[in-house]
Amino acid sequence: MKKILALVLVLMMAMTSVAFAEDITLRVWVGDNNDEAWINGVIENFKAAHPDNNYTIEVGIVSEGDCSKNVLADPEAAADVFTFADDQFNSLYNAGALQEVVIDPETVIADNAEGAVAAATGSDGALYAYPATADNGYFMFYSKEYFTEEDVQSLDKMLEVAAAAGKKVGFPLSNGWYIYSFFKGAGLDMVINEDGVTNTCNWNATDTEIKGVDVVEALLAIAQNPGFINADSDPFVAGVKDGSIIAGVSGTWNANVAQEAWGDNYAAVKLPTFTVAGQQVQMSSFAGYKLVGVNPHSEFVGDAMDFAAFMTNEESQLSRFELRGQGPANKAAAASEAVQAAPAIAALANQAAYATVQRVADPYWTPAATLGEIIANNNPDGTDLQTMLDNTVAGITASALQ
Amino acid sequence: MSMTQQARGRRSGLARAFSSVGEFFAGTAEAFRKGDAFTRLSALISGAGFIARGQIVKGVLKTLLEALIIYLIPGFILPNLSKFGTLGTVVAQKTFDPVTRKNVWNNYDNSFLILLFSVMSMAVILVAVVLWMKNMRAAYELQQTQERGKHVNSFRDDVEALLNKRFHVTLLSLPTLGVVLFIIIPLVVMILIAFTNYDHDHLPPNALFTWVGFNNFKSLFSMTAESSFGYSFGHVLAWTLVWSVLATFTCFIGGILMAMFINNRNTMGKRFWRTCFMVTMAVPQFVSLLLVRNFFANQGIVNTICKNIGLTDWLFGIGAIPTANYIPFLTNPAWARPMIILINIWVGVPYQMLIATGILMNIPADLTEAARIDGANAWQSFWHITMPYILFVMGPSLVNQVVANINNFTVIYLLSHDVYVTQNQYMANANASEVDLLITWLFGLTQDRQNYKMASVIGILVFVVCAIITLLAFNKMIKGDKEESFQ
Repeated sequence: MKKILALVLVLMMAMTSVAFAEDITLRVWVGDNNDEAWINGVIENFKAAHPDNNYTIEVGIVSEGDCSKNVLADPEAAADVFTFADDQFNSLYNAGALQEVVIDPETVIADNAEGAVAAATGSDGALYAYPATADNGYFMFYSKEYFTEEDVQSLDKMLEVAAAAGKKVGFPLSNGWYIYSFFKGAGLDMVINEDGVTNTCNWNATDTEIKGVDVVEALLAIAQNPGFINADSDPFVAGVKDGSIIAGVSGTWNANVAQEAWGDNYAAVKLPTFTVAGQQVQMSSFAGYKLVGVNPHSEFVGDAMDFAAFMTNEESQLSRFELRGQGPANKAAAASEAVQAAPAIAALANQAAYATVQRVADPYWTPAATLGEIIANNNPDGTDLQTMLDNTVAGITASALQ
Repeated sequence: MSMTQQARGRRSGLARAFSSVGEFFAGTAEAFRKGDAFTRLSALISGAGFIARGQIVKGVLKTLLEALIIYLIPGFILPNLSKFGTLGTVVAQKTFDPVTRKNVWNNYDNSFLILLFSVMSMAVILVAVVLWMKNMRAAYELQQTQERGKHVNSFRDDVEALLNKRFHVTLLSLPTLGVVLFIIIPLVVMILIAFTNYDHDHLPPNALFTWVGFNNFKSLFSMTAESSFGYSFGHVLAWTLVWSVLATFTCFIGGILMAMFINNRNTMGKRFWRTCFMVTMAVPQFVSLLLVRNFFANQGIVNTICKNIGLTDWLFGIGAIPTANYIPFLTNPAWARPMIILINIWVGVPYQMLIATGILMNIPADLTEAARIDGANAWQSFWHITMPYILFVMGPSLVNQVVANINNFTVIYLLSHDVYVTQNQYMANANASEVDLLITWLFGLTQDRQNYKMASVIGILVFVVCAIITLLAFNKMIKGDKEESFQ
């Protein structure tokens, strides 16, 4: 009966790799072609550290931003160890696609930054992933040619400077990940519920100190400022290269671009304050981490955990920083001089005080992006702002798509 | 043709199908009633009738097949079919064994595999029943053949027949099996998913999904504050239809015009022009589309030029665009929809032109000559000779293209993905946008949200839309003897 089942399986579905008892085969997904040199070094070190076992470790490339899609498409066939951005932690965790760290979680918790550990902790309080980097958040890039260190403390001042110079400050307004920073900064909240699939959101609140409508009005004013441009990653890069964008909110993945374009004038800083309801308010942000997960369906789940732990230890995180410029989550690695000297990483560290761990259920993204797009287009239909926010909140808090 | 034959010819296909099924059952019953002991024994041991009458190999093969199917019942068919009603009840659970350093899993149910294997089991049962009835009839026929004293085929005769008289059976059996395994069974599974809650919260193997009846169809056609699927479906469907008709006819007309310009007697360097368009086809479509998307991006080269020549400011001045920074070619519904159709013309016309060129060359010269002698001008000859001829030849392919454009994933996805953010909050709440076709909406639901149940519902509706269009159009165009009407 088993034979027939197996035969049918072979016929109908692509079977995953077959492993043999003595030899341990692990498949590892890393996010980028450029990670290969780094991960191959880690694999060599890992093999050297475990001479007793015969390891075969295969590397596959799966974007960290798309990892959950690929894992959830067929959890049994996914890699044994995979790297993902912490925004996907929740969907992977809910789908049961993450192995609880049962081998020495204490070390992982002790070695890594608090926020990074929080991002890897499930709602049951246990650790479900290994923090790999702490650089996946966003902050403000600017060119010292135009801005002083004092200017970049306030978004109003920055927009004023940019407008006077005929240039732009970029911000990805039509993107839920970024627009959160304004609402959270103004004290409005959007968090995932305990069920892990729905959100609670009070962006449309009318009884808070700063009302939801106030934030939208502030954003409309910002979006209409001649010094502002709504620019996601691609347009940001294009604008930095052609000189039209002289400052903007983005992440470490664009640090090289900014550094090349601005040379010695390249600088990075925490997010500025902005004006809402007559007050200056510090922008918040989503803290961003990259995590390494282990597939519970892995044939060698113990060895997969060993490898994941090794791949995210101090040494590996440091070599990752050296080879890929990615900021470590490991406390000792983050304290090293080289890491401290990188402006983008330092800016992220300063922003960390105002950042929240990203715990968001899927229904958040599209409605939030649409809200930003409407604001960026100056509310073309003239929708009542409260109604607009009510619609957005209805979408964000909707029970998992019907 | 006699009257009765004509009458039979007029009976609808459905009625004919039913009556032949009826005959099939009756034949089986008759075989059982009138058969001798061996024929009747074939009902239990399928090879009995054949072995008794000297067809040893055939009988053994038939019995082996029966044994295989019976063997499948306890191991495969029953365990899966018994869970088909619930799609599984045992949730996956694991414990980590610190000694072996491996996860120990319980014997959990995988709803998807249960669904898939159940459908396969049903197919096996259906085939088994049909084979069993056929076998009864065959055993009875063999009995009759022997009773009449006619020649009973040896195994060699049977094999020879399969290579000669019944060669079609040999040729078609493998493709038929392939169609059933790789098309019909997956299709049935996909359709069944529309009636389950297979989504992001119920992903096998770590969670179970189950039947929910018509709930998914209800949410597609209802509009509440929580679920705007109904609203989005209407809008997406409307744009899908508008798009497919516009995209098809603009390319069609553009292609014909282009072909006529190039074929015109006065055109110089025909080959050169034709080659030019061939070259554009040589570049893979997705490459050109991604390039064009970048050209027309908000910070793209076209926008830079428009800004520099002052077009952007002028458009902003007359209120045609919401911001003075760029023209939202692919980011604003009013601009993006026409732009996508224009870009599609650019991508699609060369191909249409090639087809039209071939047809134009085939138009009998005597027709146009006769028209000219009769005093028809170029326009009249185009309108009354060229156009009907082209339409006659290309009609079916046009219908085909309308349907293909309903499912034109590439153009829409490559031009709008990651670029277009809807400003319509109701559509956003259903993960749709103004430029989405049903097919790209479906893709987003499965890819971004793992919402397989709704994707399956939309898939079924896409099929319904395509089927209606195809049936109506083909009935109008191809029915009857249109071949002779064009002359």
